[in-house]
Amino acid sequence: MHRNEIRTGAAPAKFKIALLGNPNSGKSSIFNQLTGLRQKVGNFPGVTVDKKTGELLFDNGSLPALLIDFPGTYSLYPHSEDERIVVQTFVNPADPNYPDAVIYVADLTRLEKHLLLFTQLKDLGLPLILALNMVDLAEKEGLEVNIEQLEKGLQCPVIAISARTGQGMDKLKATLAQWAQQQPALSDSSFYRFTPQEEAIIAAVQQHFPHYKAYQALLALHHHSWLSHLSGEERSVLAAIAEQHHFQRLRNQVEETMERYDRFTPIMRQSLRRHEVVPSTITAKLDAVLTHRLAGPFIFFGLMALLFQAIFSWAEMPMNWIEQIFGFLSQQASARLPEGWLSSLITDGLLPGLGGIIVFVPQIAILFFLISLLEEVGYMARAVFLFDRIMQVFGLNGRSVVALISGGACAIPAIMSARTIGHPRERLITILVTPLISCSARIPVYTVLIGFIIPQNLSWGIFNLQGLAFMGLYLLGILATLLSALVFKWILPTRERSFLMLELPEYRAPVMRNIGLTVWEKVKTFVSEAGKVILFMAIILWALASFSLPGRMDAAKAHAAAEASAQQLSAEKAEALSAAYCLEASFAGILGQAIEPAIKPLGFDWKIGIALITSFAAREVFVGTMATIYSLGNTTDEFSVRQQMARERDPRTGRLVYDLATSLSLIIFYVFAMMCMSTLAVVKRETKSWKWPLVQFTFMTTLAYLSSLLVYWIFS
Amino acid sequence: MVATSVQGKRLADYKPGRTGEISYFLNDYIAGKLMSMGVLPGSRIELVRQSPLGDSIYIKADNQFLALRKAEAACIVMK
Repeated sequence: MHRNEIRTGAAPAKFKIALLGNPNSGKSSIFNQLTGLRQKVGNFPGVTVDKKTGELLFDNGSLPALLIDFPGTYSLYPHSEDERIVVQTFVNPADPNYPDAVIYVADLTRLEKHLLLFTQLKDLGLPLILALNMVDLAEKEGLEVNIEQLEKGLQCPVIAISARTGQGMDKLKATLAQWAQQQPALSDSSFYRFTPQEEAIIAAVQQHFPHYKAYQALLALHHHSWLSHLSGEERSVLAAIAEQHHFQRLRNQVEETMERYDRFTPIMRQSLRRHEVVPSTITAKLDAVLTHRLAGPFIFFGLMALLFQAIFSWAEMPMNWIEQIFGFLSQQASARLPEGWLSSLITDGLLPGLGGIIVFVPQIAILFFLISLLEEVGYMARAVFLFDRIMQVFGLNGRSVVALISGGACAIPAIMSARTIGHPRERLITILVTPLISCSARIPVYTVLIGFIIPQNLSWGIFNLQGLAFMGLYLLGILATLLSALVFKWILPTRERSFLMLELPEYRAPVMRNIGLTVWEKVKTFVSEAGKVILFMAIILWALASFSLPGRMDAAKAHAAAEASAQQLSAEKAEALSAAYCLEASFAGILGQAIEPAIKPLGFDWKIGIALITSFAAREVFVGTMATIYSLGNTTDEFSVRQQMARERDPRTGRLVYDLATSLSLIIFYVFAMMCMSTLAVVKRETKSWKWPLVQFTFMTTLAYLSSLLVYWIFS
Repeated sequence: MVATSVQGKRLADYKPGRTGEISYFLNDYIAGKLMSMGVLPGSRIELVRQSPLGDSIYIKADNQFLALRKAEAACIVMK
């Protein structure tokens, strides 16, 4: 067998089964039924499309098979990156994901449109099972299927199943177990009847590619411009054949599709007792409200307000617990471990770093629970329909609205939620601009700084002016998000044609198992993949703040001790002073002083420079760093920090440091700057490269720098 | 696309509530996508409603619901 040569390694190659079907066929539910928690998420080579694989265990003693869940696909003539993956894999028998057998999932209640891809796969000659899903719903709708007749007509085993109830799954597994033990024969018969022109073309292609089956040859010719396994030479051979035979790609595709429908429609009609399924009136009635021109957006924003509320405030309690637990652990570790760098690494580096990862879990879990619930019942497609036009202007997608709104709580789950956006450029732009939405970590920073700009208790009518200023900062973030999206839309090239043509699936009760597995998978990926990067960066930041050139730390401690005894400070105050001097002497302090010339034009001194560096761990660290620098000890109370900052004067000029210009400039910097290593880690994980987090860091920091420069220049 | 050769109304010109049958498509790319989703010449279409900004439409095609942009619907010629 040709493909056996390709398999790598000494271990016997696993029997590979592909799971394929149209979007909304219930394919993922079947995957979850068959693999449960044994699933892994990876990606297809060269693209950011998720590849879910899972072990399929059998009772009959045969080796476990590998089940590969392919993205939902309408046909082998792709219109999206997801669909191209399927074609890329199935046209090339040498592809590492090329399967030994295929389960094709079709929605029985929509069989007339789900059979197109089935017949295309049939012509690739792979052993195929047709799994007719939603047999429970079909029965309810009065639809009866004659399995034997369908098997005869399509020449393929057919099994009626329901991923929802588990009906028929045993039978499906039994057939697969048989296949895993004894490779089923490949079929050579073609469902589709090639035209004479196509036959000539196929013969010409097979002359150069003798291992291609007839339909593979036709597909290779059709898609030769982008199939990545073809060499440049092979591509020009195929291009020459296309030209020689006057091959009209799209026309040929349309005619082939028509012919397939003409062939399978009668077979399907003969096997179904009632072929017209009236869509349930529930969907039509719900959509009369949910997609209504006025009520639709209104309800959507209501739902989003709920979602925002959930990640913003419901997550707060578990997040506090996590912080308290890690605070307690740090305390215990520092009390029990002998003083030294190891103790400091554990209490100030490792534990806070780990805590900084786990603390995101509640938000991620809650957001993905709600998003997959909306996706699962079928609502998300409606949101895309409602906001397609407005989002298109900014190069975004209807689903981007959900990411942007979630970004108001935290950019991390928000960026992860962009995964459901099919169009690569729309997904990328969503990921790039979401961190500009003011997240909850900016609130403590805004709270401290806004007091320097607007005196408390000042009001304008019923509005508290500080409250209005807060709102202004949020609006500024939104404005920057949309404008940046416009810029990226203009800069970033795309080879995808933008289209809507979207199926609005019927509303269905959610399958809780699917939602649970999504939440589990998102949390697991975040902790294991982004978590690594976050922990690494947390330790680097710890090292920057704890170490310095030889002798400098000791000198700082001695200096602080001398000053403390001269001023007769209490032990607590002496410790705070020592912490302040140590931070000043540390690498972070040196860096803060080194970047002072660069941030001076923004009105920032080196102390702010240190805070800018340390708040890379998370923006709210700004407050804690300010507390340390101003010798307040361990406090995160915004008001005492603000009081201390308000007294701070420039030692040379004697002017207040936090005057209007500097405060405004600093607050604007925090609105725009990318100061969150966790976000960068997630962007790296979602875009599968360091390129995009770097681009994002650069553009956001530049935007922040220039805006702060402008603001400082105007107000000083 | 030669507009003068088009016989019949386009789906994009339909008002909400109107039904009809697809005659043919003017654009092979859009035809390919729609046909793979089960929307074919001969499919019964009802334009159910328009999107909030009026640029997209919500249609019923045979027994399924779909969302299309107006520009896409302009490539669908009705009988």
